[in-house]
Amino acid sequence: MSDIGMILDRIGRKLVTEVAPKLEGDYSGGHAGMSGLMAVMAGEAWDGAADRLANEIAGLRGLLALAGETVSVAKSPSLKVSDLKTERDALARDLIEVQIVLEGRDDDAARDLNAKIWMHLMATSMARMPSAPEFPDAEE
Amino acid sequence: MLESELATKFAAYAEARLPGARNARVASINRIHGGASRQTYSIDLAYEDATGPKVKGLILRRDPPDSLIDTERRIEFAAIKSAYGQRDLPVPEALFLETDPAALGAPFFVMGRIEKGEPLNPFRIDAVEPHRAAIGEQFFRHLGSIAALPVEGSPLAAETDTPAPDQCWRRELDYWANEIRSNAKDPQPVAEAAIRHLERNPPPPAQRLSVVHGDYRTGNYLHDGEGTITAILDWEMAHIGDPYEDLAWATDLLWCGNDQERAAGLVPWPEAIAMWQQASGCTFDPAAFEWWSLFAHVKALGIWVTSEKAFANGENDDPILAWSGWFTHAAHELMLAMRLGPKYGAGA
Repeated sequence: MSDIGMILDRIGRKLVTEVAPKLEGDYSGGHAGMSGLMAVMAGEAWDGAADRLANEIAGLRGLLALAGETVSVAKSPSLKVSDLKTERDALARDLIEVQIVLEGRDDDAARDLNAKIWMHLMATSMARMPSAPEFPDAEE
Repeated sequence: MLESELATKFAAYAEARLPGARNARVASINRIHGGASRQTYSIDLAYEDATGPKVKGLILRRDPPDSLIDTERRIEFAAIKSAYGQRDLPVPEALFLETDPAALGAPFFVMGRIEKGEPLNPFRIDAVEPHRAAIGEQFFRHLGSIAALPVEGSPLAAETDTPAPDQCWRRELDYWANEIRSNAKDPQPVAEAAIRHLERNPPPPAQRLSVVHGDYRTGNYLHDGEGTITAILDWEMAHIGDPYEDLAWATDLLWCGNDQERAAGLVPWPEAIAMWQQASGCTFDPAAFEWWSLFAHVKALGIWVTSEKAFANGENDDPILAWSGWFTHAAHELMLAMRLGPKYGAGA
């Protein structure tokens, strides 16, 4: 089997609906429930992680280009999530510096670009938000 | 330390401190889930004194290897002492404070156990029905009562500093900004922008200096299932500051079950504000509330990145820390972005 998302989802649901209730009253029951919940969430996140990071990277590079920045951050050597994350984090650090400069200016161009940065931050925050799984027959 | 060893050592410790106690033993000990900032145990201590055999219900709060919040147990102990017996606040009795790790392997404190009550999951507030309004009324009245507690001469004032009314916001923002910058594993552009926004737009000075619970919200009180709040818990982030900090934290959207029509997901906003004003003696100021409400999201991010770091570094493997570093972090980052973006011209 290679459907990692499905495997994590099924493991998580088993932990929440079967294992955790059997451990009710024991401290480890809470751990089992919480671990199951996050396994389901991880299954969902696993599928979209690289896509989300690639979108963030494209957005960040676009904003830095609009700011006239010469971007020295190297492109990710692979599509591994860890490599993409390294690239995204470096670009995000640059964006923070750009936004600080923009906030110190009092002109329409700066305000316009800052608005675009906020639109990016709103969109990426929304994309990062995991959906909370529903377990109608189980306790957390 | 094994629970059996902990129980033996605790019995000896308690016997030495309970007046006239002898033959003390731990009849039962159960670790309570949640509360990752302390290891929390419910203990039945059996002993004898001059009046005969007794069993006392106790709560032991011991420091873990790492915690959600880097605080001193002496402050939590002092805060509980400051509130115990005041007005009609349901607060457990603070009994022993031990800062020497030799006794039980880590510093700890002990308080009396409140026998009736269970916590309410902030993600399942509907479970409080049909007592939502009653719980909401007590929730905001107790919150106001905490704000009205005497500060001068209180045990908490002896353990922590008292800021000037116009510096409450600065002290809290500096503290949590430092927590984020020291502990975040990734860049935090939303949090950083929010911190700058709050610095540029400070709130009015505190109307009064108050005891601030620091984590007053659904999930941190017990209720009896019949419409009564029986205990206000988790005072580890208590300090002296602006009472709006607690009001904003208590009504943060994360603890509201996504119910924006009712404050804290419990009662309509106008009623909640009226109850809080009456009990606290403060006048509601929308500008102050707006600032502290945004700050509440930043403070939350400070807690969540600290949790994530502790989990990722292996200092504390409680899954609640991973959840905090992921789901709740994402939730508060999204709230901040959606509230601040439009202020800077970004369409919602």
